[in-house]
Amino acid sequence: MRRALLLLVLVLLAGCSQRYSAPGLGDQEDPALSGNGRLLVSVVDRGGRRSLRLVERSTGRELPLPGLRQGQPHRSPSLSWTGRYLAFIRQRGTRPEAVLLDRLSGRLQPLALPNDRLPERLSLAPDGQQLAVQVLRRGQLDLELFRLPGLEPDLPAGAPLP
Amino acid sequence: MRLLASTLLGLVLLSGCQGLRLQPLMGVNTRLSTPGDDRSPSMARQGVVWIAPGPAGQHQVRWFDLASGMGGPLPGLNRPDAQPISVSVDAKGSRIALVRSLDGRTELLLYNRNLASVRPLMLVPAGVPARVALSADGQQLAVQVSRGGRWEVEVMRVP
Repeated sequence: MRRALLLLVLVLLAGCSQRYSAPGLGDQEDPALSGNGRLLVSVVDRGGRRSLRLVERSTGRELPLPGLRQGQPHRSPSLSWTGRYLAFIRQRGTRPEAVLLDRLSGRLQPLALPNDRLPERLSLAPDGQQLAVQVLRRGQLDLELFRLPGLEPDLPAGAPLP
Repeated sequence: MRLLASTLLGLVLLSGCQGLRLQPLMGVNTRLSTPGDDRSPSMARQGVVWIAPGPAGQHQVRWFDLASGMGGPLPGLNRPDAQPISVSVDAKGSRIALVRSLDGRTELLLYNRNLASVRPLMLVPAGVPARVALSADGQQLAVQVSRGGRWEVEVMRVP
């Protein structure tokens, strides 16, 4: 009886999670969600190239990410509330580079960190106005916060304007 | 005139190449700075969580409130015998998801900062969690899991 109950709980729990594999994809890592979980971004291995994959969870459809065919490996993606902004780290030659994609305009902008800092991991604030960066500086990993000037805030529907 | 125009054009092109120039939060960054490695940052609307070196050398999860400009306690979350691996916070800063290693196991937890309560989250089928990400509304959780030698990503509801 106890075993049956445990099995039922396990089945119910299993039903609560969704996986997002697809044919031809290898390892999937580094997930991030939009504000209400509508969008999922992760780093997937496509034939040895580690690149971003953005999925609309309700349909399982992969959404296009224009301009991101280069600069692999990609890593540490982070989405704003509606998924308008996508920050991540790409490789530029021998150096990692933080970049921001505005999915509304299609504009991809490098995020210029102060000198002697290399980005290791990113986290974008839900409204897209601030960015936390784990930077490698003089052999040490530090946490630094930055303001992203000139970006329109990305707010949930119905939220008061700042 | 031609020289001026070409100089201006050059400046415009250069500024385009430089991209968005980030502005450091100077007063905050000096307070976040710790001797030792800081890892796994995650931003809330008014704060940040990350994994920082603790006083006794072990790592621990920390919360910094941007509104007050001060760190805040996370009672019941950090254990001296546990090694935090990945951490993520929702927009309100009330829910924190954590992957940590304890007693040779790797576990996935959800911490409620308002209640100071820790809840283990079970992976079915079993797997080894690595990185975790909460949605900003705190209702969904994405986790990178190792199963059978492969990395997978799955999303679960956390009501």
